[in-house]
Amino acid sequence: MRADAAVPEALRTPPLTDGAVTPASLDEQVLRFPETKPPRKWFLALAFTASLMTVGLALIGYTIYTGIGVWGNNRPVFWAFDIINFVFWVGIGHAGTLISAILFLFRKTWRNAIARFAEAMTIFAVMCAGLFPLIHVGRPWLAFWLFPYPNQRALWTNFRSPLLWDVFAVSTYFSVSLMFWYLGLIPDLASMRDRTQSPFRRKIYTVLSLGWRGAASHWSHYEKAYLLLAGLATGLVLSVHSVVSFDFAVSLVPGWHMTIFPPYFVAGAIFAGFAMVVIVLVVVRETMNLKNLITDFHLEVMNKVILGMSCLMAYSYLMEGFTAWYSMNPYLHHVFRQYVGGTYGWAGLLTICCNVLIPQILWFRRARRSYFWMIFVSVAVTVGMWFERFVIIVISLHQDYLPSSWHVYKPTLVDFGILFGSFGLFFTLVLVFARVLPVIATTEVKMVLPGAQPGRHGAP
Amino acid sequence: MVTAETAAEPGGKAFAVLGLFETAEDILAAAQGLRDKGLGRLEAYTPYPVHGLDAALGHRRSPLAGMVLVMGFIGAVSAFLFQMWATGIDYPIVVGGKAPMAWQAFIPILFEVMVLFATFTAGLGMLLLMNRLPFYGHPILSSASIGKITRDRFALSLEAYGGAFDAREARAALEEAGATEVEVLPAPEPSGPWSANYLLKGFFAVGAACLVAGYATYWAVKLFPVLPPMVHMEDQPKLDPQEPSALFRDGRGMQSPPSGTVARGFLPYSPAAPEEAAGLANPLPRTEPVLDRGQKAYRTHCAVCHGVLGDGVPTLTASYGAKPANLQARAIRELSDGKIYDAIVRGKNAMPSYAPHLSVEDRWSVVHYVRVLQRAQNATDEDLERGGRP
Amino acid sequence: MIRSPRWLLASAAVGAAGVGASWSFSPPERFWSNWLLWFLFFATLALGALFLVALEHLVGARWSVPLRRMPERLSSLLFLAAALGAAALLSLPVLYPWTRPEAHHDPFVVGKLHAWLNAPFFSARFVACVALWVLSYWVLVRGSLRQDATADPALTVRFRRFAPAFMAIYAVSVTLLAFDWLSSLDPAWYSDIFGVYVFAGSFLSGLAATALGAVHLLERGRLGGVRRDHLYNLGGFLFAFTVFWSYIGFAQYMLMWYADLPEEVYWYADRTGSGWQFVVLGLAVVHFVIPFFALIPREKKGEHGPLKRIAALYLLAHLLDLYWLIFPSNFKSPVFSWPEASFAIFFVSVGFLWVRRSMAMGRDAPEGDPFLKEGLEFRL
Repeated sequence: MRADAAVPEALRTPPLTDGAVTPASLDEQVLRFPETKPPRKWFLALAFTASLMTVGLALIGYTIYTGIGVWGNNRPVFWAFDIINFVFWVGIGHAGTLISAILFLFRKTWRNAIARFAEAMTIFAVMCAGLFPLIHVGRPWLAFWLFPYPNQRALWTNFRSPLLWDVFAVSTYFSVSLMFWYLGLIPDLASMRDRTQSPFRRKIYTVLSLGWRGAASHWSHYEKAYLLLAGLATGLVLSVHSVVSFDFAVSLVPGWHMTIFPPYFVAGAIFAGFAMVVIVLVVVRETMNLKNLITDFHLEVMNKVILGMSCLMAYSYLMEGFTAWYSMNPYLHHVFRQYVGGTYGWAGLLTICCNVLIPQILWFRRARRSYFWMIFVSVAVTVGMWFERFVIIVISLHQDYLPSSWHVYKPTLVDFGILFGSFGLFFTLVLVFARVLPVIATTEVKMVLPGAQPGRHGAP
Repeated sequence: MVTAETAAEPGGKAFAVLGLFETAEDILAAAQGLRDKGLGRLEAYTPYPVHGLDAALGHRRSPLAGMVLVMGFIGAVSAFLFQMWATGIDYPIVVGGKAPMAWQAFIPILFEVMVLFATFTAGLGMLLLMNRLPFYGHPILSSASIGKITRDRFALSLEAYGGAFDAREARAALEEAGATEVEVLPAPEPSGPWSANYLLKGFFAVGAACLVAGYATYWAVKLFPVLPPMVHMEDQPKLDPQEPSALFRDGRGMQSPPSGTVARGFLPYSPAAPEEAAGLANPLPRTEPVLDRGQKAYRTHCAVCHGVLGDGVPTLTASYGAKPANLQARAIRELSDGKIYDAIVRGKNAMPSYAPHLSVEDRWSVVHYVRVLQRAQNATDEDLERGGRP
Repeated sequence: MIRSPRWLLASAAVGAAGVGASWSFSPPERFWSNWLLWFLFFATLALGALFLVALEHLVGARWSVPLRRMPERLSSLLFLAAALGAAALLSLPVLYPWTRPEAHHDPFVVGKLHAWLNAPFFSARFVACVALWVLSYWVLVRGSLRQDATADPALTVRFRRFAPAFMAIYAVSVTLLAFDWLSSLDPAWYSDIFGVYVFAGSFLSGLAATALGAVHLLERGRLGGVRRDHLYNLGGFLFAFTVFWSYIGFAQYMLMWYADLPEEVYWYADRTGSGWQFVVLGLAVVHFVIPFFALIPREKKGEHGPLKRIAALYLLAHLLDLYWLIFPSNFKSPVFSWPEASFAIFFVSVGFLWVRRSMAMGRDAPEGDPFLKEGLEFRL
């Protein structure tokens, strides 16, 4: 077959790295961060995020001590910031798994430079997320009742409740992500063990790297395990946020019982997660001088994913609106009118603007390559996705079937404090991670550098 | 060819000879060449997985995939069966209209547990079972080459594996194959407590302990109490509600009271006609507890129709239809206590009998309270002067 | 697989006779339900194939370039589907309750008759979709065929630019096929995931037909250069989307089961009672259980025999899926007799004939594509 047409510039794939990178230079560039003292900016940033986190944790303590009454939750809006924040953070975690696992299955080697950070963000996001179901139950010290253990009450948990499915899904997601991330870290920890001059650090890295020595027989099992974990984690991405969406979709609340919720929530999670990844990666590549490894191409591809997801969200909103009308259900009609009008109509319009309209800027290549525009879009998406959950939860609850129960919801300062505190927790963990562990999976990048693998001359 | 030789272990016999190579292609070629020479067990150490090296070294395919499939299946089936058993057999309750054996509701947890089992098999199976990691005693970890290996060099090692091992022959073969450096490694140290074997045993021990403790709790709570003699507390000879009984003709333990039974506090009412009731006297004294009781009973049963003030203005809506008596009316104020009592017991006109609702004491307390209401609404100047005292 | 055309023409003739007999002797619901089944089968398959083409352009995939001509040829079935759909417009008064006067008494239906569920608007929507399909076919498929001769890379840039637009067209088309032709058979019922459900089946059938066609060509010595690695990827996609289809199908079912709302759950009650439970159980087996376990072993995904068999099974499963979606609205119990068999014989023959003819379109691989060389070099 004739196969010699030339490839035009616009269609060529850019190289993996900007400029020449060797394994040694890679190690030098990335692995020196845990060994050196962070700059002043880092300490300032950490001080800021840590104070936010402390305030948030203090307010959580206050809530546990005094009771959920210090929040704005009241009838009929019994779920508000607590569940909004939970869904928000779990969603943010999904981008990391997608980059780590799904892009690995598609053999997109460019993912190797960003997978480590993305996975770390998943774990931190799920930690932030897990906080909320724990504190919103009112008696968090009894949270162990959620697990089905044989007990003196002879009771079992209610397996038919989506809240319990959540418990299993989120704990599975957290443990699997942690294991996947840790397994990826082992060879890098071995590199750090062999590089470090400090005997104290050497001991720590030795223990953590489990004595990894790069044996080929070990690598073959390792690669198999990694592939299997990637495949399983992909299933988790779909299932965990679908289970979270079941919290709403199995109910009768108008606006919640929409069958499109599972894929819609998953798309929204990927959407919000990628926005967060873009924001963090822009900061990382600039402050840690990693522009040759986290290239413009990486950012552009992630922006394209954000754009694609925005279109999926547009489809979902369209389907929701159309189906709500098509259902001829007067309660559903009312709630959907409240989504864009009424007390909280501004939130619905903000959601559509931030999630559907603003990301359309990314159709333009210039915007995909400009820090200003991509950060603007990503922040808008983060805000928009938080408000999307607000719209779904608060608006549907505050005016559902019985008009005598309708009531306006007002969040309290404690609600806001805990929300910002969760951001503080997340960014504190991110900042600490960036200086303690290698932010780029050096082993994985080494594997795909040009010349890294033997050429396949005459191989079948 | 540079040959750096580090000291072999103090005993004398080398454990392995390591040859370093510059590129992945070099080590692949070398491995293919050295494989069938029979100089020792061939192993490679690389900073990242090199494609084709497994085949060149003759490694078998990793069995992890099969293990993961099996464990995933076990996870799925056990999660499903456990939910079915716990919800449908051990303690069946209907919740939210869902039948106890609602398989549809068990699928999400089935899936998550399947993934959990599968991923932990993949991760921990790979580390603990297949690679026997953690293992801190391998001699290469303290060699001079390890730093180069984890950075960017590739190493082939010929290891002593049962039988004779000639370090010099191995070294020569490696140099011939293109090694830029050669190092000799001593024997490994015995593994300490933090090794894969101990961890595996530890996990199984903990797992077994959990299973034992769980079953013990379950047995102690559910199965033990129904063994004799503990079950004797539960199986008592008395007749519990809903239990059958051979004593009675219809076989039921619960029987209706025979006719003529009088409930406590509900003495039969003797006056045959309302006129006879006029003579009944209020047996209760007019004390504060009695009046409180009367107020409570009145507000519960009577105020609905007769009004809180007893003025016949009900709290019901006008759509009710019947017009309750105004207890403030002169005719009723002049009625005797007995007549009021009779109205409560027998009913009057549209008012039904309240005998089932009010015990004898309640009725007389209400009568007292009605008198209080009547007096309150028809107070005289003297009452004001006296401050309402009798 | 495909023998001499004479054999096919004969079976088509036999089938046509049966279809004609069904037109004369079967009740109209029977005839039109079958017609609708095959119209939607070809429409979803062709759209799924075109979606595969556009997806490759959208993400810049290279491994699938040597295989791309197969789905491009399959998408010519869109014209067959358009013709069948135009005829199916005659079925509106027969199959669809909202065309009948009693719809005005159903509170869940009467409000949307004026704005949405009326024959003129319904037909207009269908015509608009067909126009967009023709446009997409012209840009993507005819453009690719032109590229065979000219090898102009600017065409690839055009494909890449058009791909997002096609995604929007596809989303709207599949959603409309789902809502208009399938779900309005029960006009009171609604499910907003239904478009996604039909998409899953559509993409799967496009993939399966592509795999079937590719293996067929490989066994005849054509499509040289396409290796196990390429087929493995196709098998991988089939596996992944089996899981996706099952997930969407189960999500819709479980949510409706859980809330148990009378205005939703009757749709499932109709489809899980009076014999239909065996059909849906069979659907779960052929659409999920068998392909899932058959495609798990790594080897099977890339081998000719297993891939061909699984692909054929998928097409059968997609038919069964559509059958289960369409027929219970008008038939209390599953029906399978000479009408269904005749329609099957006729349309399978016509389908094969059509695809056979399309195999003459252009070269077996998109030879003008600048990435063909890279695609052929693809290794796992």
